[in-house]
Amino acid sequence: MAEVQGAKRITDIGPHNYNDFLHPVIKKNYGKWKYHEILSPSHMVHVSEDGDKIHTVRVGSPRLVSSSFIKDLCDLADKYSDGYLRFTTRNNVEFLLDKEENIKPLLNELEKLNLPAGGIGNVVANIVHTQGWVHCHTAASDASGVVKSLMDELYGYYVGAQLPAKVRVAFACCLNMCGAVHCSDIAVLGIHRRPPRLIPEKITNLCEIPSTIASCPTNVIRPDTFNGKPSVKLVEEGCVFCGNCFTVCPGMPIADPLNDGVSIWVGGKVSNARSKPTFSKLAVPYLENDPPRWPKVVEAVKTILDAYKKGAHKGERVGEWIERIGWPRFFKATGFEFTKYHIDDYRLGEATLNYSAQVRQ
Amino acid sequence: MSKKHQTPLLDELKKGKWPSFVREIERAAEKSEMTDDLLGQVEQSYREKVVHWKHGGMVGVKGYGSGIVGRFSDLPEKYPGIKEFHTVRVNQTAGFFYTSDMLRKMVDIGEKHASALFNFHGSTGDIQLLGAKTSELETIFQEYTKLGFDLGGSGSALRTPSCCVGKARCEFANFDSMHMCDGITQAFQDEMHRPVFNYKFKFKFSACGNDCTASIARADLSVIGTWKDDIRIDQEAVKDYGKKFNLHQYVIDKCPTKCMSYSDEGGLKIENSNCSRCMHCINTMPKALRPGTKGGATILIGAKAPMVSGPRLSMVLVPFYDVEEDAKNDYAWFKDLISKIWEFWDEYGVSRERIGELIQRVGVGNFIESIGLEPLPEMVANPRGNPFVLYEEYVEADEEQKG
Amino acid sequence: MTDETKKKLEEAIVSLIKEYTNKKRFKPGDIVKEMEGKFSASGVTKDDVKSAIRELTDSGQLIYGYAGGSFLALPE
Repeated sequence: MAEVQGAKRITDIGPHNYNDFLHPVIKKNYGKWKYHEILSPSHMVHVSEDGDKIHTVRVGSPRLVSSSFIKDLCDLADKYSDGYLRFTTRNNVEFLLDKEENIKPLLNELEKLNLPAGGIGNVVANIVHTQGWVHCHTAASDASGVVKSLMDELYGYYVGAQLPAKVRVAFACCLNMCGAVHCSDIAVLGIHRRPPRLIPEKITNLCEIPSTIASCPTNVIRPDTFNGKPSVKLVEEGCVFCGNCFTVCPGMPIADPLNDGVSIWVGGKVSNARSKPTFSKLAVPYLENDPPRWPKVVEAVKTILDAYKKGAHKGERVGEWIERIGWPRFFKATGFEFTKYHIDDYRLGEATLNYSAQVRQ
Repeated sequence: MSKKHQTPLLDELKKGKWPSFVREIERAAEKSEMTDDLLGQVEQSYREKVVHWKHGGMVGVKGYGSGIVGRFSDLPEKYPGIKEFHTVRVNQTAGFFYTSDMLRKMVDIGEKHASALFNFHGSTGDIQLLGAKTSELETIFQEYTKLGFDLGGSGSALRTPSCCVGKARCEFANFDSMHMCDGITQAFQDEMHRPVFNYKFKFKFSACGNDCTASIARADLSVIGTWKDDIRIDQEAVKDYGKKFNLHQYVIDKCPTKCMSYSDEGGLKIENSNCSRCMHCINTMPKALRPGTKGGATILIGAKAPMVSGPRLSMVLVPFYDVEEDAKNDYAWFKDLISKIWEFWDEYGVSRERIGELIQRVGVGNFIESIGLEPLPEMVANPRGNPFVLYEEYVEADEEQKG
Repeated sequence: MTDETKKKLEEAIVSLIKEYTNKKRFKPGDIVKEMEGKFSASGVTKDDVKSAIRELTDSGQLIYGYAGGSFLALPE
């Protein structure tokens, strides 16, 4: 068989092996860690069975960063952590140090660069989020802007102020939900509220009809014809505004500046500690997009945090607190209105009703 | 710096104490001219409250159907710099470990050939280089492979697996999540780069029930650390914690299976056979308690975000998997399980149906039977409460007589 | 699989995608099923079809597209 052209191309090598990037202390004590201590919201130390120590200094990042930002981090790493650093699943940066005396000067320099050190323990963790208007075609809201506005407000809770337990906030700019938004203590979710507009010319030319029909979770996209060509029609009453049809068919745009916005969800978690992992539940069905700083969204998240801080026992996650006091009192404590949108009428929604006479009076 | 576009709304987001993404876009624009137009377009989105990116397109590097996500401005005349502004997903290292030396080289590629803007990291785990022109994709790809980094997954393919920090820096780790993540990623390069699935498929490896990768919420196949033997107790350290807080209130009473007791005389006692490995007591007293030494993992299946038929969490498939033993064999048992799952999905799944949705559609019982696993009580919260049972066998009168 | 069968297989894949341009988006999995059936007499396996697809994409005769799901197409 003939030589394939460009055979020199390197392919399918996978990621660079992590062993090349591990701090010598980590390499030496791999799998031999004994315990850790959180010494401040920005500093923890892991101690190995041999008594070796590795210090971690955690720093928040906005996730969307420039090459210059990364080079700033690299300079700090060279100076204080022998060039070793890692990232966390929540877009934090962690400097790994074996020299305790380097911690203070590192923290001082971070402060000079306006980089927030924190995020460890019972604080508001860095918000995981999606691309939003900056880089996604299905976004119902911006992500970075809402998150920036929220973190400016919650800054104190990231760098130091203690909460009953850790609070994980997440943002997704549409129902595709890149990231584990649906199992967060507080989740902000970009939503549409108006059915997609049908552009027949585009649907017939650009869309595969069967997959467009199959994309609808409520089966309200039905076959139709346009100029004798296969197309679709929409039974608008059954639309749940998920935007999935637009994902497969560019002829059904759903973004709408007048009606798009966000909803707010609470009480989810992924950890198995104490209670089982669970979805976040609807708290606020709709808040309008209000750029650049989404003040109502910030206020709503603040309201939840304040009520949680006031009401929760030490060690209770948001969902555990609500479980203990009951949802009626959650709505009372936050002042959020309970509406018919809060009652689940989708598949498995039945399981969420209260089939008992156990009611807090 | 002279700005090409006026951005009064975005400028508001340069205020405040949290690091500003707007400032980051500006800094990227200092390195790469094209990025200036991103500021203009995002400002317009802020003004109009609507997105200005078009539906994807046919972009990629030769031979791969993955790793590049096409992105085109819907206002290319107004913002020519971002007419093509594709995402390059670069497979991260397991555990997200880097050296400054390597990171500098990695971001230099973005400065030279694209927007100089990155996500560290994307939700699934990749480093995402934003804003590459179609003509630059091949060069960028080759530059990264020269550094020993390949592209990650996108489309109907295996998505970039990710894992927690595991044994590298966590005493809770019950298996080597980084080793397994790296091994599985290397084993399935073809499935990552050449989409043959019905839809995406995600692996996530968390070395304990705290699940730092949120695998139970979003991985089609979640591998979550657990252990077989007893929790290791340092009674002296327990006593020390008792001086700091009320052990009953914060540890004993919060145990979900009520398998612990404490008295000053007898110390802490744990009925390990009833412990569900939730991690609460260990989280609360890391100096006093450690998971047992016979580590492994629970394998769960089916989590996903809402599309298409609603969100799901992963359910137990294999209660205990001896990771260390299988690692000696290059994870052969695990790979075999995965190939059976993929075969089933290939055979019975439809386009854009995640494995969790397929299992729900055909029934868990049928699914596990097909991949050769036994039904186990660990798979359910409780047995069914309704009598609508699909009994598969009955006897007829003549057979009864024969019997 | 003989070289001749392989050539026929690759031609059949390309012509199927050509025939259905703008009508149906073939996932690689669809092609595998389709070709497995069509070439069953010649003993063509799933892996044979997969490697044929790989050769066609590596050589640029086919490219991958994405519209909510991945599919194979002729280069634009």
